[in-house]
Amino acid sequence: MTTVTKRGPWIIWKDVIFALFAREIRTGFSDKLGISWAVVQPVLFIFVLSFFRGRLDGGDTHSIPTFVFMAFGMIQIQAFLQTFTTTSASVKKNKSLYAFRQVQPISAVIAKGLFELVVKIFVVLGIVLTMYLINMEYQIANPLAIIFYFLGLWVFAVSMGLIFGLLSLYVPEITKIQMLFSRPLFFISGVFFSLQDFPKEYWWLLNWNPILHAIELSRYAAYPSYGNAGVSQNFFFMVVLSTLFLALTLYHGYWKQAINR
Amino acid sequence: MIRLKNVTKFYRSLLGNQYIFRNLDFDIPSGHNIAILGANGSGKSTLFRLLAGSEYPNSGQVITNLSISWPVALSSGIHPQMTGRENTRFIGRINGVKDLVAYEKRVVAFAELGQKYDLPVATYSSGMRPRLAFACSVAIDFDLYLIDEVTSVGDAKFRKKARKALLDRSKNSNVVMVSHEMSEIRQFCDSAIVLADGNLTFYNDLEEGIRHYQAL
Repeated sequence: MTTVTKRGPWIIWKDVIFALFAREIRTGFSDKLGISWAVVQPVLFIFVLSFFRGRLDGGDTHSIPTFVFMAFGMIQIQAFLQTFTTTSASVKKNKSLYAFRQVQPISAVIAKGLFELVVKIFVVLGIVLTMYLINMEYQIANPLAIIFYFLGLWVFAVSMGLIFGLLSLYVPEITKIQMLFSRPLFFISGVFFSLQDFPKEYWWLLNWNPILHAIELSRYAAYPSYGNAGVSQNFFFMVVLSTLFLALTLYHGYWKQAINR
Repeated sequence: MIRLKNVTKFYRSLLGNQYIFRNLDFDIPSGHNIAILGANGSGKSTLFRLLAGSEYPNSGQVITNLSISWPVALSSGIHPQMTGRENTRFIGRINGVKDLVAYEKRVVAFAELGQKYDLPVATYSSGMRPRLAFACSVAIDFDLYLIDEVTSVGDAKFRKKARKALLDRSKNSNVVMVSHEMSEIRQFCDSAIVLADGNLTFYNDLEEGIRHYQAL
């Protein structure tokens, strides 16, 4: 018979997130190119941009190959921007599903975040595979650190998405402000240029940005010769943790009222 | 039993907070098929959504250990790009249905969609979509079904079938129903809750409830 099982709250969360995740995979890409486009498009983008960037300096940036330099920056800024915008939009997008009492906004955010994470993992694999096929040399001194920075950045993006998604239910204009400030992130996060390229007295203009820290730190983790001037692992993880804390606090306090809106 | 404990519910508006319920304490007894009666704007739909868990009170709690359906035939959870079967599985997973295969079979038998069940919902005719939504909710064995003017689903034949399915259901489990059709209410319900000025009154006898409601 089709009775419903009595489930604990954790099991309900797991079931709902899985159902939303499966729904995301099923409906995220409805054209013929399908899910492959989510991987092919950023890989192409990164290749084209780093080709042009490579023309500027003859193939080496602070002792690492320009392509690798660019790939680290591009993958992480794209991972941040896409995870951030899609998770914050998912709060409102799934509003009709909150009619089911089991579905809460945070489940939608987590499902969307996991989906973006899986896509980004495939982007990384796609880039590594292409580099292997064209015989490009690269070195990864500390892969574990890179994974931690990447996951930290992901947690940061999902937390920011949760905060902005929740706020946008109260103040719809917030999505416009969000667009306004996420645009320039592409240019101030050290994607095209290293923090070392800027004069030291202007670092304070850039080094408040945790994404810059994640990008520079992971380049350093791959190539110790690159150096970690001006960035700090402590600062990065403290920002990630505080943002996560703030997001969960706001969520706990306001989600029930937010879904009435 | 569903216990409303010190429930306050208001909606913000330009004219200040519009209170629907203030510090409401009320027990909705089990074992009855209950009609919710009240004038327009008295808070029937709000009460309904609070029971469904689609909305939450501003303060206070709604406590129950019953398994309660979402508003029956509400089709907002159906995704147009997914097939009927995928939508069924999605809803089944969310609600924690034990046997998804058996659930699918019941839905397909009830909704009479035939081969269209495996096509995206976007290709359905306007009558087929609510039929799927109705089948999805009635194919799960809940303790309590929340029905909001449901019998307007589909064509005459399906309406008859839906009515019969719900009547069958109301024998083993219970229904809470919002409707303006007294004939419909008399068919399904045996008792009533009358809503007036943010207060709830339970009438064990449906006819008595209807009399009080009409005297309002």
